[in-house]
Amino acid sequence: MTFIIRRLLQSLVVIIGVTLITFLALQMSGDPTYLYVSERATEEEIIQTRAALGFDRPLHEQYLTFIGKLVQGDFGNSLSYKRPALGAVLEALPATIELTLFAMMLAIVVAIPLGVAAALNRGTPVDGSIMTVAMAGQSIPSFWLGIMMIMFLGLQMRFLPISGHVPFIMPLVQGDVVRAFSQLPQALYYLIMPGFAVAFYSISRNARLVRSSMLEVLGQDYVRTARAKGISETAVVIRHALRNAWLPVVTMIGLEFGFLLGGVVVVEMVFSWPGIGRLIFNAINQRDIPVVQAAVVILALVFITLNLIVDLIYAKIDPRVKL
Amino acid sequence: MIKRLLAVSGVALMALAGQALAAPPDNTVVVGFGADASTFDPAQISSRDNANIAKHIFATLFTVTYEGEVQPYLVDKTAVSEDGLAYTFTLKSGLTCEDGEPLTAEDVAYTFNRAADKANGFTGNTPGFVYTTLGFQSAEVVDELNVKINVKARTSLALGMLAQVYVHCKDSYEKMTLDQASASPIGSGSYRLASWERGSQIVLEKVKDPGTFDTIIFRIIPEASTRTAELIAGNVDIITNVSPDQIEAVNASGTAEVKSVSGTRRMQIGYNLGAGVADLPGAKEIQDPKVRFALQYAVDVPAICEQLLGATCERMTSLVNPPNGNPELQPIPYDPEMAEKLLDEAGYPRDANGVRFTIRLQGPRGRYLNDAAVVQAIGQFLTDVGVQTEVELLEWASVYSPLLRTKTMGPLFFLGQGGVTWNPLYDMSLFSTPDGATNYQSWTDERWFADWALALAAPTPEEARPIINRMLKLFYEEGPWLMLYFQPDHYGVSDRIDWTPRRDEEIELFNAKLAS
Repeated sequence: MTFIIRRLLQSLVVIIGVTLITFLALQMSGDPTYLYVSERATEEEIIQTRAALGFDRPLHEQYLTFIGKLVQGDFGNSLSYKRPALGAVLEALPATIELTLFAMMLAIVVAIPLGVAAALNRGTPVDGSIMTVAMAGQSIPSFWLGIMMIMFLGLQMRFLPISGHVPFIMPLVQGDVVRAFSQLPQALYYLIMPGFAVAFYSISRNARLVRSSMLEVLGQDYVRTARAKGISETAVVIRHALRNAWLPVVTMIGLEFGFLLGGVVVVEMVFSWPGIGRLIFNAINQRDIPVVQAAVVILALVFITLNLIVDLIYAKIDPRVKL
Repeated sequence: MIKRLLAVSGVALMALAGQALAAPPDNTVVVGFGADASTFDPAQISSRDNANIAKHIFATLFTVTYEGEVQPYLVDKTAVSEDGLAYTFTLKSGLTCEDGEPLTAEDVAYTFNRAADKANGFTGNTPGFVYTTLGFQSAEVVDELNVKINVKARTSLALGMLAQVYVHCKDSYEKMTLDQASASPIGSGSYRLASWERGSQIVLEKVKDPGTFDTIIFRIIPEASTRTAELIAGNVDIITNVSPDQIEAVNASGTAEVKSVSGTRRMQIGYNLGAGVADLPGAKEIQDPKVRFALQYAVDVPAICEQLLGATCERMTSLVNPPNGNPELQPIPYDPEMAEKLLDEAGYPRDANGVRFTIRLQGPRGRYLNDAAVVQAIGQFLTDVGVQTEVELLEWASVYSPLLRTKTMGPLFFLGQGGVTWNPLYDMSLFSTPDGATNYQSWTDERWFADWALALAAPTPEEARPIINRMLKLFYEEGPWLMLYFQPDHYGVSDRIDWTPRRDEEIELFNAKLAS
C-alpha cells in the first residue's frame, strides 16, 4: 500500500510537470489572443479579447487558473471544434486505444514465437532470417511502411481497406454492446494495416529481446537439469525457459504501450484513423491550445496508470520483487 | 488445426474485403476531404472545408454561380434605399426548413441578428468577416416575406457577402443550446446531416432539390497520398488538393483523372514596408518602388508553375482575379537582365562580391501548394540578380501566423490570400486602410487610399471601373507585392462521376451526376 501511495505521489509530480511544460511551450510560441479573433479584428477588439480571456495577466496567474480548472476537468473550449476540449479528446481516445492495444497484442503474439524460434535455432538460417526481418523492422519508419502497405495490400491487391475506422470501444462505452460486437470483425479488418504499421518496430525489438533472454536462460543449470530429467523439449522451453525469460519482456511491454501511443500520431494520419494522435497533430497545427493540453494530460495519465499496473504485475510474477 | 484456422480466417478476410472495398452505390457520391468539419453552427463555421459541407445543408439569400455571378437564391426581389444603407429582400414563398417549419422574414432576421449577438461569442466567418466587410448593423422584419438589412455604408459588395450567410429557422434554433446547434444542425438547404462520425465521415441525405445524389458522404482523409489511393481504388469519387507529384499517377490509373483550375487564391511575395522590420537588412531598399518593380522581372513565374505546381499559369498583373483586372496591364515577363538594369538605375549596383543588398525571405511550410519549394526557388531567382536572399521556412500556426498578425515578418514574405470573381473591390479590400489588419505590407500610398474611398462609394463596380483601373495600374507599378500566380487547384475526379470544379475553392455537388 505504501508503494502505491508513493507511486501516486510521484505521479502527481509528473502530472504537474507535464501541465507546466505544455502550458509554457504553447504560451511561449506567441500571443494566443490572435487565435480567438477574426483576421480583420481591430486593435481594440484584440485588446478586449485578450483581457476577456485573461491572456494579459502574468503567466503564473494564467497557469494557476489553468490548474484550478483542470482539477475540475475543465480545459476550456477547443478553438477549432468550438466545444469542450476534454470532450474532443475523450471522444478520440477509444480509437487510439483500439489501435494501440491491437498493436501491442501483435507486438507480443508475433514477437514471442519469433524470438523463441530464433533462440532455439541459433546460428541457423531460421535465426538469420528472423533477425534480418527484425533489423528491417527497427529501421523502417512506420509512416513509410504504412504507405507501402496501402500501395500493395490496399491498392494493388485490394485485400485490405486503404483507410478508415470501424469503432468497437466507443459503442461499448455508449452501452451498445450488440452494435459493438456485430461490427467487431469489420473493426479488426480495418485494424490490420495500421496496427501492423504501428507494431512492426515493437515486434522486431521484442523478438530480439526474447531471443537474447531465451539464449541466456537456455544456458542455465536448471534448464540443463530439466532436460536431464527427461522432460520434453516443449515443456523445457515453455515451462522452464520462457517463464524466466518473460521478466524483461513484461517490463518492456509496460513501456511499450507508451511507446506505441507516441507512434500512432503519424500512422493515424496515414490511415485516416480518428484517434488522439491525429487530434494532437491537428491541434498543434492550428495552435488549439486547450486540446493539446487536454490530450497531453490524458495521455500522461494513461501512461502513468499503465506503468503502475506493470509494477504491480512485475511484483506478482517475480517473487524477488517486494512492494 | 492450424491449417483449418488459417483457411477460415482467409475466407473471412475475403468476405470482409468484399464488403469494405465495394464502390459507392449509384445514388451516392463520396468526397475525400483533408480536414473534418469543426462545427455546424451556421454562425461559427469558418474553414473552407467546413463551409463546403455546410453549404449543402444551409441555403443562403444569394449564391455565387459557377461563372462567378451573384444570383438570388432564397430571395425573389431586392430593393435598395437611396442612400444605400438599407436592403429590403422579398423572400420566395413556400420556403421551409429541414423540419418543415416555414422559412419567413422572421427567420432571416433571426439568422442575421443571432450571428451578430456578442453574447453568443461567435467567431465564425459570418460575424468575423462578412459583417465587418458588409458593415452590418441590424436585420428587421418588415412583414412575413420582407426583411430589411441595415448596413453602415454603401457598398457594392453587399449581395456577394450575403451569399456567405447560412439561413436557419428561428423556432428550432431558439430551442437549442449552442452545443446542440454545433452538432445537430437543422438546415434550410437541399440536404440534412444524417450522421457525423468525427474524424471519419459526414453523411448528408437529400431532402429537396436541387441535388442529383440522394446521399453525399464526406470522408476525412488527411494524408494526400492516402486520398489519392482511395480515389484510384474507386472508394471515393472526388478528392481535393491532389499533390502535383501524384497527378501523373491519377491520370494513368484508368479510373480517375485530375481536373485542375486556376484558383482565386492570390500568391505573392509581400514587401513588408512597415516599422516591424524597419531595422532588418533589405527593409530600406524595398521602400523604393523602383526596387520593388525591378524584382518582378527577376522571378520566372511560369517556370515555377510548370516545375513545382504541376500546372501552366499566367503571372498575375494585380491583386484582382480575372476577369476583373485592368485589361491594359500585361504580365511582367521573366527578364533577369532587365531586373539587373533597373536595380542599377535605382542605385543598387553589385558590389565586389556581386551582391547588391541582402534581405530575408520568410515562408510557411505546408500551408500552400508546394510552398517550401516555391519559396526556395524564388530565393534563388532573387540571389541570381544580386539580391542575396536568406530563405527562412517557418511552421505556419505557431510561428508564421503570429508574425503576420503582428506585421513583423519578412522583409519579404510568401503569402496566399483568397479572392473572388464576382467583384474586384472584394479582392482590393485587403488594402482598405493603411493600418488595416489585412494590409500586412503596411502599404500607405495615399493615391491608393484616396481612390479606394471613391471606388467604394460608386453604386456598382462598373461605375467604379475607371478608378479601379487607375488603382490597379498603381499597384502594378509601385505596389507592395512581388506578383506571382493564382494558385492552381488540383481535384481528383473518378471516371464514375461527371463534375466540374470551381475556381473559388467551393465544392458544389448539386449538379454532380453519374458519368454517362
